[in-house]
Amino acid sequence: MVRTLTLTERAGNPSPARLLAERILPYGMVAPAVVVAAAIAVVPLLYQIWLSFQDWYLLRQPTPAFGGLINFVALFNDGALWSAVLRTWIWTIGTVFVEIAIAVPVALLLNRETAMARTASALILVPWVTPFIVVGFGWRFLLDSDVGAVHFLLETLGIAGTNSVLTDPAGALAAVTFISGWKGAPFMVIALLAALKSIPDELYEAAEADGAGPFARFRHITVPSVWNTVVVVGLVLGILAFYSFDLVWIMTKGGPQDATTIIGISIYKAVFLDLRPAYAAAISVVMLVGLLVASLLVLQLRRV
Amino acid sequence: MRGGRSASFLLDGLTGVLLFLLLFPVIWIFLGSIKPDPDIMAANPWPTRVTFENYIAVFNKEGFLVALRNSLIVGLSSAIITTALAAPAAYSLSRFDYRGKAAVNLLILGTQTLPVVAVLVPIVVIVRNLGLTNTLTALIFTHLALGLPIAVWVLKGYIDAIPRDLEEAALVDGCGRFEVMVRVMLPLLKPALVAVGTFAFVLSWGEYLLALSLVSKSDVRTLPLALQTLFDPYQFSWGTVMAGGVVIALPAVLLFLVFRKQLVGGLLAGAVKG
Repeated sequence: MVRTLTLTERAGNPSPARLLAERILPYGMVAPAVVVAAAIAVVPLLYQIWLSFQDWYLLRQPTPAFGGLINFVALFNDGALWSAVLRTWIWTIGTVFVEIAIAVPVALLLNRETAMARTASALILVPWVTPFIVVGFGWRFLLDSDVGAVHFLLETLGIAGTNSVLTDPAGALAAVTFISGWKGAPFMVIALLAALKSIPDELYEAAEADGAGPFARFRHITVPSVWNTVVVVGLVLGILAFYSFDLVWIMTKGGPQDATTIIGISIYKAVFLDLRPAYAAAISVVMLVGLLVASLLVLQLRRV
Repeated sequence: MRGGRSASFLLDGLTGVLLFLLLFPVIWIFLGSIKPDPDIMAANPWPTRVTFENYIAVFNKEGFLVALRNSLIVGLSSAIITTALAAPAAYSLSRFDYRGKAAVNLLILGTQTLPVVAVLVPIVVIVRNLGLTNTLTALIFTHLALGLPIAVWVLKGYIDAIPRDLEEAALVDGCGRFEVMVRVMLPLLKPALVAVGTFAFVLSWGEYLLALSLVSKSDVRTLPLALQTLFDPYQFSWGTVMAGGVVIALPAVLLFLVFRKQLVGGLLAGAVKG
């Protein structure tokens, strides 16, 4: 149908100007997105490195001045910060653990061609797309010691006392970690589901013919086939968890005491409560380097 | 796959139970929003009567409508700009080979994996230095980072799947490159453009940390910040907060579910490439 258009200009020998335009075109089209991505990601990262070497404490030194390693020295002597780092690892590993623990059985159940499985594959995404502010307040409602449905359940089970688990240091960290994993799990489910659907049925049929039971089929076919997906998606979800802020801030503000103060909370407090932006930048730089190393180590778990 | 009818029925039942448990918190939020206050205080699981008074209370709260307007402005602007930036970039990455393409891919992937907290400090300082604190402009611009990378991946996947013959035929017919894009590609891409624009809107709509850090005045608040202020120490009501929560969550959830098919593939591709 395109060919029926009247031809106004047959492509003859292209002129040099036209050739130049053809060469510039791809760059011109990608440039606006690149400029914006650079402005939002690369420029701040570089500026952050510069900031981390400044002496800038709004109460004492209101304009930034070169401070050398001052922030890094302070950072390595900051006991509360290292407690937060340790807590962040517990939180991150806990979150990913809950995500995998929920996602594996759910994905196996959803990997069927029934109406129920198809409907559930869509609805399962609801917690994941519900904004943190809603999920956070919703769970505060559920865990409230006066009116909370989940609180009453925990109280009956003897897990919580008369006060909400959110007022108990260990209970609060466990609760927000679980909620974080619950909210992230649907992403792992859809990733696992895609991996499961790509396993050819013939593999299972052949194994069955060879006398392999359901457990042996799961162990020798399903697990190896989805392993890399679990590792890579687990890493992505782990990075997200490591830099969490919203859920914890909305639910506990990092408390009680410092019980749920993870790195994201430390960075936010360093800027907005302690008014030490340069120190916060130094924390971010150290965490980025640490996370990069950890990510490279996790990627070694992949099977080639 | 295999197994008898009864086994399938049993597994469907199990799926239903698990789904209910996983969605229970969300269901509870919704029920809380339509329960009268005495039901909430008595912790009745099921409302004795369905009420909309919590919703009326939310919309009568000072600043909630302003926040709704702000969220719409920020969300729609960042959705439109995201789509307008992503479409040509995706076309370029899909159709041309050139030096530096790998670097562009890496930059976009890097932007997607970079969490907001990791660059929060410099962004706050830069926005303050530019004098843009407490402006919707700052929110619109920073919210571009949320949806842009995914938009590029999804659109690139779409364009990759469109045969080149279509464009070549049009080129032979004497159409210019630009004309080909507008007349041939744009109509084919329309569903995908709507999907990525919607997703960018949803991400901006629920965004909390940047809004919290860049906005302190009530007239530039977005909905997540407005919900926070409903925790009024003097006349606090769980029902009102849950109703506000439903107002925020509902558009995000519905829009995402409508465009789920187009978006999920791109999201997974982005994750697995990293």
